[in-house]
Amino acid sequence: MNKIVVTGLGVISALGWGVEKTEQALLKGKTFVGKMKYLNTKFTDLPVGEVPYSDDELRELLHVDKNLSITRTSLLGRAALHEALRSADILQNRPKRIAFIAGTTVGGMEKSEQYYIDFLDIHSDYKTEYIALHDCGACCEMMAMEYTGKFDMMTTISTACSSAVNSVILGANLIKSGCVDAAIVGGSECLSKFHLDGFHSLMILDPELCKPFDKNRQGLNLGEGAAFLVLETETSATERHVKPICRLSGYANCCDAYHQTASSPDGEGAYLSMTDALKSAQLQPSDIDYINAHGTGTESNDESEGNAIMRVFGNNIPPISSTKSYTGHTTSASGSLECVISILAMVKNFIPANLNFSEKIPSLSFEPVKNVVTNVTLDHILTNSFGFGGNDSSCIFSKI
Amino acid sequence: MKTFIQAISQISLQEPLSDQWFSNPHVPQNIFNESIEPDYKRFLSPMEARRMGKLMKRAITTSLDVLHRSHFENVDAIISGTGLGCIDNTEKFLHAIIDNNEDCLPPTAFMQSTHNTISSQIALYLKCHGYNSTYSHRGTSFESSLLDAFVQMKVGDIHSALVGGHDEMTPDYFNMLGKLGYWKKDPFTIDSLKKADTIGSISGSCSLALLLTDSPNQDALCQLNDIELMYAPSITEIRSRMENMLIKNGIALGEIDAVVMGLNGDIENDAVYHQISQNCFPNIPVVWYKHVFGESYSASSFGAYTASMCLKNNLIPPHLLYNSVARSTNISHVLVYNHFQNKDHSLMLLSKI
Amino acid sequence: MEQLIEELKKQIIEVLNLEGMKPEDIDENAPLFGEGLGLDSIDALELIVMMEKNYGIKLANASEGREIFKSVRIMAEYIQAHRTK
Repeated sequence: MNKIVVTGLGVISALGWGVEKTEQALLKGKTFVGKMKYLNTKFTDLPVGEVPYSDDELRELLHVDKNLSITRTSLLGRAALHEALRSADILQNRPKRIAFIAGTTVGGMEKSEQYYIDFLDIHSDYKTEYIALHDCGACCEMMAMEYTGKFDMMTTISTACSSAVNSVILGANLIKSGCVDAAIVGGSECLSKFHLDGFHSLMILDPELCKPFDKNRQGLNLGEGAAFLVLETETSATERHVKPICRLSGYANCCDAYHQTASSPDGEGAYLSMTDALKSAQLQPSDIDYINAHGTGTESNDESEGNAIMRVFGNNIPPISSTKSYTGHTTSASGSLECVISILAMVKNFIPANLNFSEKIPSLSFEPVKNVVTNVTLDHILTNSFGFGGNDSSCIFSKI
Repeated sequence: MKTFIQAISQISLQEPLSDQWFSNPHVPQNIFNESIEPDYKRFLSPMEARRMGKLMKRAITTSLDVLHRSHFENVDAIISGTGLGCIDNTEKFLHAIIDNNEDCLPPTAFMQSTHNTISSQIALYLKCHGYNSTYSHRGTSFESSLLDAFVQMKVGDIHSALVGGHDEMTPDYFNMLGKLGYWKKDPFTIDSLKKADTIGSISGSCSLALLLTDSPNQDALCQLNDIELMYAPSITEIRSRMENMLIKNGIALGEIDAVVMGLNGDIENDAVYHQISQNCFPNIPVVWYKHVFGESYSASSFGAYTASMCLKNNLIPPHLLYNSVARSTNISHVLVYNHFQNKDHSLMLLSKI
Repeated sequence: MEQLIEELKKQIIEVLNLEGMKPEDIDENAPLFGEGLGLDSIDALELIVMMEKNYGIKLANASEGREIFKSVRIMAEYIQAHRTK
């Protein structure tokens, strides 16, 4: 069977733009969640993981025409996509068929919520162009606009917080079945009032820094960002003379089918997605050297995910951390963002910390990794990504 | 591994949960069209339905109905396409943010506004722990879902899938899209839609559930040979992708008995179809369906439904025939070609079993 | 108190969209969640919003609702003691 390898990475988050900045930030072991700067909401005291650039700064960095109407989600997506394509050298030196798959949840909402009153006024023409950019698919197309004609197919996944990992899975399946030779997969989501208020209405935002896997956790901090991976077959990479970064060795998508927002206490969906991912990678739980947990910091997720991890790994639980303590919960982007973070950890031999942790959850048998660990060898890593409605997915990456 | 469309169920402007539209359709009279709702109590208890908006009720109902028609109790995967999700809930939450200045917001509306709530509620209902996903890519949301199910079946990961296309149209969203020229401004007739000399179409709502399987029973509608998505292709590329698809599946262009297309009465939209049909499918009967179901982000799912019904019944009813090319008496292979704003294009190849 | 209980029953039916249910169908001493009415965590969030909107009571944390929503009577007692409007 032709192996699927990763040949390019692109990322932007509160940690900065680019894999180098991301790696440096992770090694520092300090959070980048902090005071809100750009989002227009009355809840300015809530800590968030904002990308450290305004829309105008992003436009300038990305050479986007001043007159082009574009949403922040698309700008972030462009930044990550640009880096991923360049690092895999996939457009100049291209395989035959390439798919672009992005995950996003509220699409152009950050603009819609600003101009909604005008949208509704049938006599107003103000910002009407943003109506056409409201939906998820429109945002995805805007990310890839400068590469029109380069991608043979394009689609958008919207499974809330697991969107980006599900686009990794679709990309892999499209390659496996021979539909395409390579796939650029990931997700993007900017902060919006809609999302912040939505999570607030579910009472799952921590007014302080989030504390994943801590007994006294109070919820999540929202973040924003985008990340893309370039997937292709080993043969395609060899033919293109591109050195693979790592292998995508296994993946699975399962449904908790328990409740619309809450996770099942025993973590059935998470248990199934981890065990099925191990099965598809033909690995044993003991082969996994690091777990990048979904670990949002909500009461429901961390206990459920923790129980599922205990069910899968028993007495031999590998080091675990939730890097949402650095970035905030970047929702639709979190899946691919955490794939990139985990791959960086594996390739650069370190384990990022689970920040802000002080006390173990009584019902769980493990504590997460409190401080950054360096000089470790990680051969196989697992990353979890779960969404509302029990959309649970896991991916395993392995050293070449 | 072959894949088959076992059954399809719909709720739209046509008679709900019925195939009556194929022989005797309701002819849309309005530019804004509401769906005809079935009696949901047959499928959902009031306690179960209490948090569901219209689209969610429709999606669950068509899903349950298609399982029933297929004699399947459960499936390996649930995959939905929706351009806008439960937009009614999104609007409710947006209004609340503005009206209440971000206070006292309704959590249910937020929860139901995430697009994946449809697939996940169906899973909750069926207690299905299998693969679960949602696509939201404009006019090819449904095809994206079908493609996902198709490739997983091809590699043997799944053996059955519930694939959906679900979109509702609210008055507010209708008005917003109207500003972008989506809808006809003047009264229309089927003939004027066919003439397509102005911009705009007529709106519809769509809830369609399809059961895809590699082990069909005798009632199955047709075989799905292939499906592809294309992004911003040139006419030459569309032609070559189509030719390759036919070669791959061992079918000659001359063997295609009909092409189903998303003609909707909009001058710009239909011009693309005319160009494609002249360049790629000359002298083949063209079948349309959006004059019956209206336009929506998931409307292309009715293209698959129309093709399946023509194959199953070995018939193209006159009301669905767009051009005057003579029909073959035997309908064995049908191509379905759709595009959205000439950017997102899709091809599906279906055959008689 | 009895009047407030009646008022609450009506509001619960409306807010939670308990179609076909009448105030007299709700036993004010029966649990709202789990076995009684069979409500869940999202209903609890809706009731928290309702208390804020109608009675000016703001809960900092969803878990506080667990005690308050034990029954309609307990809820009414809590509202009586803490209402600001």
